[in-house]
Amino acid sequence: MDESVLYRETFSITGNDFERGGAAASAVKAIMRELGLDPAVIRRLSIANFEAEMNVIMYAEQGRLEFTVTAEAVKVVVADRGRGIADIELAMQEGYSTATAEMRARGFGAGMGLPNIKRSTDWFEIESTPGVGTTLRYGVLLGAAGGRG
Amino acid sequence: MEVPTHSIILEEARCVGCVACCKACPTKAIRVRNDLMQIDPALCIDCGACIRACRYDAVRPRTSTTADLKRFRHTVAIPSMTLFTQFGHDVYPWQVAGALRACGFDSFHDSSPMCPMVSSAVDTFLSECQGPWPKISVTCPAIIRLILIRYPDLIPHLIPIHTPRELAAKLARRQISARLGIPPAEIGVFYISPCAAILESIQRPVGVAESYFDGAFSVAELYGSLLRAIREGAGAAEESFEPRGLLWAASGGESGAMRNANILSVTGVEDVTYVFDCIEAGKFRQVDFLEAYICPDGCVSGQLLVEGRYAARHTLQRIQAQVTSRSAIKEERVRSLFREYFFHMEDEIKARPLEPVARNLREAILRRHEKNRLLEELPHKDCAACGAPDCATLAEDVVAGRARLEDCVFLKIRQGTPLPEETGDE
Repeated sequence: MDESVLYRETFSITGNDFERGGAAASAVKAIMRELGLDPAVIRRLSIANFEAEMNVIMYAEQGRLEFTVTAEAVKVVVADRGRGIADIELAMQEGYSTATAEMRARGFGAGMGLPNIKRSTDWFEIESTPGVGTTLRYGVLLGAAGGRG
Repeated sequence: MEVPTHSIILEEARCVGCVACCKACPTKAIRVRNDLMQIDPALCIDCGACIRACRYDAVRPRTSTTADLKRFRHTVAIPSMTLFTQFGHDVYPWQVAGALRACGFDSFHDSSPMCPMVSSAVDTFLSECQGPWPKISVTCPAIIRLILIRYPDLIPHLIPIHTPRELAAKLARRQISARLGIPPAEIGVFYISPCAAILESIQRPVGVAESYFDGAFSVAELYGSLLRAIREGAGAAEESFEPRGLLWAASGGESGAMRNANILSVTGVEDVTYVFDCIEAGKFRQVDFLEAYICPDGCVSGQLLVEGRYAARHTLQRIQAQVTSRSAIKEERVRSLFREYFFHMEDEIKARPLEPVARNLREAILRRHEKNRLLEELPHKDCAACGAPDCATLAEDVVAGRARLEDCVFLKIRQGTPLPEETGDE
């Protein structure tokens, strides 16, 4: 597998910054379009990126989204410094949420975030240390035509 | 010289090469080269922003001519509902209809009853369809074009049901042919349009091989003669109009006539883009129907109207309260027409993807790096003096070989290159 990085860009995400919520995901989407990736790849990653970004905004202090393109895949790492997740298994259940009333009022916190990322991507890994932070790694494989097929 | 692109005509003699159109274009389809506007037909969605932005009357819509009317034995005018909002609240729709007859059309066909019929057909469609949600209205052709070029993923969201205007044209031709015994091809059906997007949808329709219209005129170009005919008392006799149809002139009218209340109405290109981005990201799935217009208030703010949109909205409220419906729309009748596929588009809606800028992923990435490098050198003023709408677009154009970095006036000043001298006739 050719692992050489063709493109990499990192975006910072600030906790509680709902004003700019989705900004990193939108920027990544624009880049993916410019690179001419397959619309299905763009759609799946955009869903995952948006959920991951909103998780940082809702639950963490500071985080970053690192977007990497290789000849084989688009890989994303979203790492944050924050409260972390005590019970990952529980957080992965659809409908489970620790969102506050304010977050719910903004249309988030339906407990679909992490399951949605897993469903939209080809692989998904999560590591978390309570009180320290969370790291998500996920991605989508590109077709033979380099994401155009 | 007159240069047409889609439904837009540039009158070169009037174009001064200012960049108002270029900055106004929401899809960045316009460049100014050699002091003239140039539109990229692949990117143009016929929203009419350039017509609105031009202060020199250099950009105008491409409409039919009186010679086009003479090609037919019988001509019919089908006006947009917005036409009835243009003459103030003491001018009734039947006066406008009479004025159209006095202005060179052999007959007038009212499309207002077709509007709630289509709303009802959309209700039936929604109750039987499986998603993807939300379903998106096809009333605004600029919205369809935006989806075809920018949001191909949303094509399955478009409702494959004709607009009331197209169905009214189909019906008018049939009825008049039967009534007067004239072959359908010898009847000319013309739309009176509030916008460039509908003009283009008649020339190059989506979802059907050929439009049911033979041509179109703008409200603005007929306004003067209509106003005169109204003042002279044309069409004094009262005729019935469907009030729920008239409401289609503004946003909210289409969804307001539906039984399904799980709808969202969005207007204006910025908000539409925002909502489409959300839908692409999987949001708004709980909404059944999205009514979307590229103009800020729906058709009543079309760029080919005369009356301001607030005055027109107010007139609309007043007149729709004063017209009476001829008959209630029979839902059973709509359902049986629905089964006969009367409302359905004949063809599938297909994407019109833009040519990829690069041959493969590696080349696309190289181009992006090159673009970012060029952008570093540019001043980030987004002044558009180079002829591209902003610095990032100039960088893209340079990478694509369509422009030169030296087109930037700030770079020229920084490098000490003499600016081109103003050529005058002194």
